Amino acid sequence: MRGKGIRIQGLKKRYGSGDTAVDALRNVDLQVAPGEVVGLIGPSGSGKSTLLKCLGAVIDPSAGRMTLGEELIYDNGWRVRDLRMLRRDRIGFVFQAPYLIPFLDVIDNVALPPMLAGAANAEARARALELLTALDVQHRARAMPSQLSGGEQQRVAIARGLVNRPPVILADEPTAPLDSERAMAVIRILNEMARKFETAIIVVTHDEKIIPTFRRIYHIRDGVTHEEAGEGRGFG
Amino acid sequence: MRRLPLQGRTLALLAFIVPLLALFVFVGLRSGPLAPVAVTLATVQSRALAPALFGIGTVEARYTYRIGPVVAGRVERLDVDVGDRVRAGQVLGAMDPVDLDARVRALDSASKRAGATLREAEARQAYAQAQARRYEKLLLARSISEETVTTKRQELQIADAVLAAAREEVDRARAEREALIAQRSDMRLVAPVDGVVVLRDAEPGSTVVAGQAVVELIDPASLWINVRFDQLSAAGLATALPARIVLRSRDGEALAGRVFRIEPKADAVTEETLAKVVFENVPSPLPPVGELVEVTVGLPGLPAAPVIPNAAIRREGGKAGAWRMGDGELRFVPLVLGATDLDGLVQVREGLADGDRVVLYSEKALTARSRVRVVERIGGTP
Amino acid sequence: MISLAGRDILHAWGKFVFTGVGLGLLIGVTLVMAGVYRGMVDDAKALLDNSGAELWVVQKDTLGPYAESSSVNDDVYRGILAMPGVARAANVTYLTMQVRKGENDVRAMVVGIAPGEPGTTPGWPPYLVAGRQITRAHYEAVADVASGLRLGDRLSIRRNQFTVVGLTRRMVSSNGDPMVFIPLKDAQEAQFLKDNDAIWQSRRRTAGNPAFNRPGVPGLLEAVIASQSTNAYVNAVLVTLQPGHVADDVAESIRRWKRLTVHTRVGMEGILVGKMIATSARQIGMFLVILSVVSAAIVAFIIYTLTMDKVREIAVLKLIGTRNRTIAAMIVQQALALGVIGFVVGRIAATYSAPFFPKYVLLMPRDSVAGFAVVLLICVLASVVSIRMALAVDPAEAIGG
Repeated sequence: MRGKGIRIQGLKKRYGSGDTAVDALRNVDLQVAPGEVVGLIGPSGSGKSTLLKCLGAVIDPSAGRMTLGEELIYDNGWRVRDLRMLRRDRIGFVFQAPYLIPFLDVIDNVALPPMLAGAANAEARARALELLTALDVQHRARAMPSQLSGGEQQRVAIARGLVNRPPVILADEPTAPLDSERAMAVIRILNEMARKFETAIIVVTHDEKIIPTFRRIYHIRDGVTHEEAGEGRGFG
Repeated sequence: MRRLPLQGRTLALLAFIVPLLALFVFVGLRSGPLAPVAVTLATVQSRALAPALFGIGTVEARYTYRIGPVVAGRVERLDVDVGDRVRAGQVLGAMDPVDLDARVRALDSASKRAGATLREAEARQAYAQAQARRYEKLLLARSISEETVTTKRQELQIADAVLAAAREEVDRARAEREALIAQRSDMRLVAPVDGVVVLRDAEPGSTVVAGQAVVELIDPASLWINVRFDQLSAAGLATALPARIVLRSRDGEALAGRVFRIEPKADAVTEETLAKVVFENVPSPLPPVGELVEVTVGLPGLPAAPVIPNAAIRREGGKAGAWRMGDGELRFVPLVLGATDLDGLVQVREGLADGDRVVLYSEKALTARSRVRVVERIGGTP
Repeated sequence: MISLAGRDILHAWGKFVFTGVGLGLLIGVTLVMAGVYRGMVDDAKALLDNSGAELWVVQKDTLGPYAESSSVNDDVYRGILAMPGVARAANVTYLTMQVRKGENDVRAMVVGIAPGEPGTTPGWPPYLVAGRQITRAHYEAVADVASGLRLGDRLSIRRNQFTVVGLTRRMVSSNGDPMVFIPLKDAQEAQFLKDNDAIWQSRRRTAGNPAFNRPGVPGLLEAVIASQSTNAYVNAVLVTLQPGHVADDVAESIRRWKRLTVHTRVGMEGILVGKMIATSARQIGMFLVILSVVSAAIVAFIIYTLTMDKVREIAVLKLIGTRNRTIAAMIVQQALALGVIGFVVGRIAATYSAPFFPKYVLLMPRDSVAGFAVVLLICVLASVVSIRMALAVDPAEAIGG
């Protein structure tokens, strides 16, 4: 069930209490449809990372509502019992650095999430191979991560994020260390994957090179988001 | 399935782990208390043993003559020194006669006086006899009384007795004088036999007591060896058996000898049998008296019988015996043992037969449950 | 599910094996230390077993002949032989001294064995590894290989020379000094007679004493000197029993009728292990404990460091949804693998280094099994700390900023 992407209403996050309390998120409204790739842009200290962490169910928000697909996962309190399973099955991550497990080869790195979800090794590896092929790195399936170039590693990371077919993928500065050609390649892949697997993708970035490619952008400042239309430029 | 890169690495690791584990298991099973015990075997053979007895002794002189005075006195002179050869009858020295000469002269005079007394007694006896005869004649003529004749007869008897006493007195004086002269001559120290002086114990001028030896002589031809054999290993010792003599100062040179006598009195304190062994040919130069000697006496050879080396004899359950290896299995066999020889071979009277194999050396003490492995030599023995 | 621990080990196998070997050497040292202790106790037991005796008759009220010096007359054994239940009684002397071979000295325990036969007379070495037993009543010796002597060597004990005719193994005193067996009479002489200078001085002193040097009594001085030059003492009488007799009963009857002290095998073991080697044993025991604690700490530290190195991977794993259980299992499995490698290496190292120690090192299977269990336990406990740390890792750290 692909569902309706991700939807956040009135999310708040307060760190600390009393006089020293800091409101990292004041009022966040955000919505991403399946197959859509949106940008999340903001200066440092704007609450970008906090929002990502809330979206990734890594930290607990203070208030608000989060809906993932058909399911209300947070309503002033988590509505799912197992956050870990949520992360494993429903949310995919792509980071600035690939963060591949160095002691697993490429295919096992990508096959790991399905295996954790209970799939048999052969099936998990088959799915992984599928994604690696889609990302055009299947020829490196048996190499160790350290043997890959930066771009290849990033693609493998993306494959890992996608392998469990999560409804939403959170990408944190995925193009920051890359040059413009590679950055465009990554963004192009993200768009392709989003379309192919009907995944909602939120890309946190301040990379000038790829910002023009977003059709919709959320600006976040002082813990509040504003939606904006993007240029929607092609991937050159 | 993709196997290759992993397989390479896994193979390398397995190549390390598997031998390591194998070594571990090997170490666990083959060393320490679980390891089989290394043993060497010996085969029981029939051999004729030539047993022998071994004892140590000292060289002694058969006859030692201790020459000294019979009365206390002072040594006047000594004419010989240690190492001199002397002949029988040779004067070796003299004690100080002191007053003996004067006493001899006194006895001379006494002797002469006794002679004079004798002559007086003879005269008196002759007179008494003549008187007695005359009065007997007068009695027959009835000229005098019976009483007078009796008196004269009595006087004759008295005179006879006095004469006899005077004769004895002369003999006594002479004998005394001879005795003192003998003693005077005894002041000389004389060698009783041919020999060699081995000890000079008192110098001229020193006082010695009666019986103390001033000079000691031995007869070098009479050197023999006083040997002590441990009683437990003296079985079969008999006179006339051949002996091999090794002097301590001439190690490596074996001299021939034979058993001369076995002492009837053994040494009860040290539990040794004593025997005397003589040289066939007295070695020259003479070994010093008191030198230590090792003597091996050869006993008559025994007929062939199964023998084993004495290193194979073990103790189990309070009995002496050996571990026999039969069909790869080890069993302890109690044995009845017989004669032994000095090379460590022991006769087996009961318990084993020719051709049986027994454990000779082992790394550890064996029990009925020991696992063994047979080797040529126990490792670690140089 | 793949084995994360296995993959990590395979990937960094060099580091793993290297760490395992290092750990193994540490464990090996600990095992050897335990072996040293066991070796000491075994030395004491070997001493008792090799004497072949069931009872030791010693000077009254002493713990002799090994723990304390003891002196009994050498004809006491005749009376003991006559007591009921006694199969054999034999004199024995023990003296620890330097024996000379050529230019070198070896410290050895010289044992004087009574004349008799191998296998029956107590005190004789129960088994040989080369050569033969003593056949002559003087000047032959059987030596232990630990002394470095070989067959045919001539060794000097006091003023006599002995030829080595046989070799033994594991015949050592409770101190680990190798034994040299010589005939009893020679040993009595060695125990008693001093060097020539001392004898000469003692003769002069006797001759200067007017009580012994009376002119009116010729022969007195010689007799006195002769009596001073003999030794009618031995250190103990070794007794074997006839079958069917109980050691304690026979010992009690000897004690009562002969007014001597008698120790049974059990008693001697108690004396040797409980008194003689007790202090050394405690010393080694303390060292063993310290070594174990240090080993445990190092294992814990190594496992902690291994986990520390993987903090980022653990964060990522948590982020992509790995169960805490799985992560904990990975850490524990690696710790156990390290422990197993360490133990295997340690056991092998201990076995091959044991012969190089000057005293006997006994590695018992029982100790190895116990050691293995302890190593695994330490690994598990050490991994607990690391697991707590791993579980505390915040997956949010994977998300930067």
